Amino acid sequence: MVVLAGCSEPPELEPLAAENYAAAFETAEMTPAVQKKWARSCALCHVRGEGGAPRVGDLQAWAPRVAGGDVRMMQHTVEGLNRMPPLGYCMDCDLDDFAAMIHLMTGRH
Amino acid sequence: MLSRRRFLANSVLAALWSAMTGSALTGSAMPGTAVGQAAAPPWRNWSGHLKANPASRLVPSTEDELVSMLQSTRGAIRPVGAGHSFSPLVPTDGHLLVLDNLNGLVSHDRQAMTAELMAGTRLSDAGALLDDIGQAMYNLPDIDRQTLAGAIATATHGTGKHLKSLSGYVNNMRLVTPFGDVVDLDAHNNADVFHAARVSLGALGIVTRIGFKNRAPFNLLGRTWMEKTKTVIDQFEALSSEWQHFEMMPLLHSDYALVIAHKETSDAISPMVEEEDDGAFLKLVNATPVALRGTLINTLASDIEPAEGIDVSYKSLTNLRFDRFNEMEYSVPAASGPECLEEILDTVKREATDVTIPLEYRIVDADDAWISMFNGGRRVSISVHRLARYDYQPLFGLVEPIFWKYGGRPHWGKVHTLGRQQLQELYPRFEDFVFIQQSLDPEGRMLNRHLAYVLGR
Repeated sequence: MVVLAGCSEPPELEPLAAENYAAAFETAEMTPAVQKKWARSCALCHVRGEGGAPRVGDLQAWAPRVAGGDVRMMQHTVEGLNRMPPLGYCMDCDLDDFAAMIHLMTGRH
Repeated sequence: MLSRRRFLANSVLAALWSAMTGSALTGSAMPGTAVGQAAAPPWRNWSGHLKANPASRLVPSTEDELVSMLQSTRGAIRPVGAGHSFSPLVPTDGHLLVLDNLNGLVSHDRQAMTAELMAGTRLSDAGALLDDIGQAMYNLPDIDRQTLAGAIATATHGTGKHLKSLSGYVNNMRLVTPFGDVVDLDAHNNADVFHAARVSLGALGIVTRIGFKNRAPFNLLGRTWMEKTKTVIDQFEALSSEWQHFEMMPLLHSDYALVIAHKETSDAISPMVEEEDDGAFLKLVNATPVALRGTLINTLASDIEPAEGIDVSYKSLTNLRFDRFNEMEYSVPAASGPECLEEILDTVKREATDVTIPLEYRIVDADDAWISMFNGGRRVSISVHRLARYDYQPLFGLVEPIFWKYGGRPHWGKVHTLGRQQLQELYPRFEDFVFIQQSLDPEGRMLNRHLAYVLGR
């Protein structure tokens, strides 16, 4: 997943979506199953930084995204942003999975 | 000073691709579940314009699990790979079957130079997997995130006069039918189903294994340069013979194209340097009215420098250069390519269509998969793109009838409007494919609305 703040910001979220996204971060858990999903999706780009993706654990690169808030990052993940496709190549991830992955990559796991 | 500026070819291409023109779409989807529920967000394809809320997502880790899932569920089922198709092959209200856990190398034969991989393996992973066993795929598309199953289901291809689509290199397959029967296919066993399944639209069942005919690993010298489109067309025969993989990207409204060419080399690896674009070219293009854009690009063409590099084949041929887009692509008989291209360029220019993303003009050799776009003869594929955040209908609606005039066959994974009636005239074996599909899937479990239209069921 490439979670970038850029020139093509997605439109504003509807309230229910924002609530759902926020709730996912409260229940998110990095389990072995989620790690496996991360390895076959987000890792495609976020390990080597392909396509301009911030690398996993690169706190400096992630800082501006983190400043935008978890809900915004979830929106980018679900809807796609710039070169990152919607769902970041994880077709079977639910919102909890994405929340755990976002926290992992931004050094908050 | 502008007159001294030199633009790198790759940067110019990236800038044009990212150009901010046209009318942005608006709107935002929201998850269809209540607060607090561990929710799966709506499925969307790579570009984001296709959406679905499947009733469930099935993620088998073994073929046995897949068989059990097919036998224990009812209702529609659609497989999904990487979601790179722009045509609505995937959207379903039924079960979305995710292939991701069916990945990796199954077996290989050093003598025959074949390798069997699980169908959920991504092209981007296959390169290194095959390299480790002394093999390489003959050709690759420019985006390599697709799964093998998704790529061959739609006859995904690269470019090269003597190179086929990925489906053309399939040696054998394993198919699990909608009833859960496991069937092994090759040119001698279940031959008709094999010829249908090499380009199947994911409509025959679930492909779990794919065996490819490969070759020894090789390095490619890649070169990009600017050239007048007409010059490239005039020299296409010679250039596409000299360069094993040869394509051009005509820049709309202008007389020029960016040429991208690769040929095999024994020289040491020296990757092409991808320099950061400073946005200067993009700013110039955006500041220029559509009517004057051709003049601008034509004037600056000589300022765009060639670039060169050497890398292992599976790295040379692929890239993640571009923002997301939607795409229409038709393949026309090779002899009709120049005239079709010229009409598209003239039409876009005449209509002053405010689009800057270049076209893509590639050549692909013939294969014999029943509904491969390249069945029966070498064809030229011409692609038209629109950035994902803009409405593609005006541009694609303008161009699609031109493709029809030249006997074009639509890329199965890209936007098109053709149904069974038109498709059976384009493919000699189309009705045979429909017959096989109906035989394997009499209840229509593998269909969605798009496939029902395409197959006339």
